[in-house]
Amino acid sequence: MRYITIALSKGRLTELSIDLLEGAGLDCSELKSNSRKLILSDHKNKVRFFLAKPADVPVYVEYGAADIGIVGKDTLLEEGRDLYEVLNLGFAKCKMCVAGPKALEGCMDTVQISRVATKYPEIARMYFRRKRKESVEIIKLSGSVELAPLVGLSDVIVDLVETGRTLKENGLVVLDHIADISARMVVNRVSMKMENERITKLIQAIRAQLK
Amino acid sequence: MKKWNLYTPEGVQDILFTPCAFKRELESKIRNAFRLNGYMELETPTIEFYDVFAGDSGLMRQESMYKFCDSKGRLLVLRPDITVPVARIAATKLKDKDFPVKCFYIGNTFSFDELGGGKQNEFTQAGCEILGANSPEADAEVVAMAINTIKATGIEEFQIDIGQVDFFKGLMEESGLKKDEIEEVRELIDLKDFVGVEQVMDRHNVKTELKTLILDLPKLFGSKDILETINYNHIGKRAANALDNIKTILDILADRNLDKYVSIDLGMVQSMNYYTGIVFRGYTYGVGFPILSGGRYDTLVSKFGRNLGATGFSMGINMVMMALERQKKLSNPVKEGCFISYEEGARKKALEYCQKLIDKGIPAQIDFMLKGVDEGIEYAQRKGLNSFVYFYTDGSRKEISL
Repeated sequence: MRYITIALSKGRLTELSIDLLEGAGLDCSELKSNSRKLILSDHKNKVRFFLAKPADVPVYVEYGAADIGIVGKDTLLEEGRDLYEVLNLGFAKCKMCVAGPKALEGCMDTVQISRVATKYPEIARMYFRRKRKESVEIIKLSGSVELAPLVGLSDVIVDLVETGRTLKENGLVVLDHIADISARMVVNRVSMKMENERITKLIQAIRAQLK
Repeated sequence: MKKWNLYTPEGVQDILFTPCAFKRELESKIRNAFRLNGYMELETPTIEFYDVFAGDSGLMRQESMYKFCDSKGRLLVLRPDITVPVARIAATKLKDKDFPVKCFYIGNTFSFDELGGGKQNEFTQAGCEILGANSPEADAEVVAMAINTIKATGIEEFQIDIGQVDFFKGLMEESGLKKDEIEEVRELIDLKDFVGVEQVMDRHNVKTELKTLILDLPKLFGSKDILETINYNHIGKRAANALDNIKTILDILADRNLDKYVSIDLGMVQSMNYYTGIVFRGYTYGVGFPILSGGRYDTLVSKFGRNLGATGFSMGINMVMMALERQKKLSNPVKEGCFISYEEGARKKALEYCQKLIDKGIPAQIDFMLKGVDEGIEYAQRKGLNSFVYFYTDGSRKEISL
């Protein structure tokens, strides 16, 4: 039997992902052992795991270097990879939003936005192109995006909003809602066909825990 | 200014000796398989007018084509595929009495799509088309040819998934969804995004049985038993015909003893504006992308002015090579050939011997460095030859197998 390879997102998704995989009967002890090894295995079930930066998980899965991946919907939208998105795992919930100064609240339909700061340039571009039919200048930042409208770098931002506290404390408000975000399970298109039985069983075992 | 003369552009590559020899061998196996099955080879130009590929009905996005101008300022492209040029030929070059036509091609195609995972901007495609035949028999013939082509490459474990675009189109007709909503559902089904499909369908008032079936579409893949689970009562005529069409094709494939390679995917809804009937893809281990894809495209030829049914597939030779490599099926080059060297004065004898071997069909090459026996043996070994012959001035010779 071939090994099925699962790519997990390093960071806040890791632990909850491991819980689900354990609940589905996989042995994740090696994965939890803080080992320096990059690839960890459950030899009994012929499954291998590795941790990767979230943005890289869809890449590994699209190319078939991993059969399955667990990754946030934000990353999937941003990367736009050709994958099967088979399960909404429900955790790590938040919203992808357009946010900006309070002055813009309620008048989004009348103003022209010219500059947008974001960690998600593709999502921002799609939103402004499709929904608002606007060609905007996208400024890619790596963090603390809320700062941009405060110092005059951009008119608005596109970012994940979980509780909205950071926005509030900086005098910003949500102006529009782009998408609901949560962790998803994705599968390579070929693996889904070539290892259909084993992957379907794993999907079912994980889905059963979600109810 | 940086000099680029040492580099090749992104997405193209030099293919050197061993992989090149392997690729040629692979191509000749494929060519042989097509010929044995009665397909005729054709060649189309590397350069075509942009208009051939432009428009809604093609698969080709404007931004994925290499474009340049001819001397009259007309827009040209490097061909992004060969099926569309074949459709152009079918509409403009062939006579009514020629049809049906079975043809095949092996050639390089170009596109700016994303690189990686074995994808290049220049890649070799091998494929075939049956033009002017609308029967399920012709579709089955093409699927069978796809299976035989994969087998000819040496890949043993593989799978062909068959779908039918009219099944989805028929269900959508019945559901009464609007065009952009249909496109949304199509995208979601293509991603097997169960939740997304449900969210869209919940916004609409669709008959329960039909709705359940649409929600199930992303799951409707696997063995052919899936076809039996579908109740004909709620799906409308178009979708019902699509199911019958798939079943007929499967029956024909069973008669060819090829059904074990085939499975069903009714949620295969990519490239809907190109294909009009069955669609299929070939998968194997070791590569994350399909190694071949095809289907029926009855409206493509009419774009060039002739109403003609057509069906075919194309295979990515680079993907197949990668699969073979990952599956450890790239055979090592056979040690073959004779290296001939000589002492001063024995040149004529050595040259005659070399030519005699070549005439017999045995690879042989003559030494032009003439540094003696040891160096000669060393060279022959380095080049993967299996024998060495040295001629002495006194007329004697030494033969060594390597």
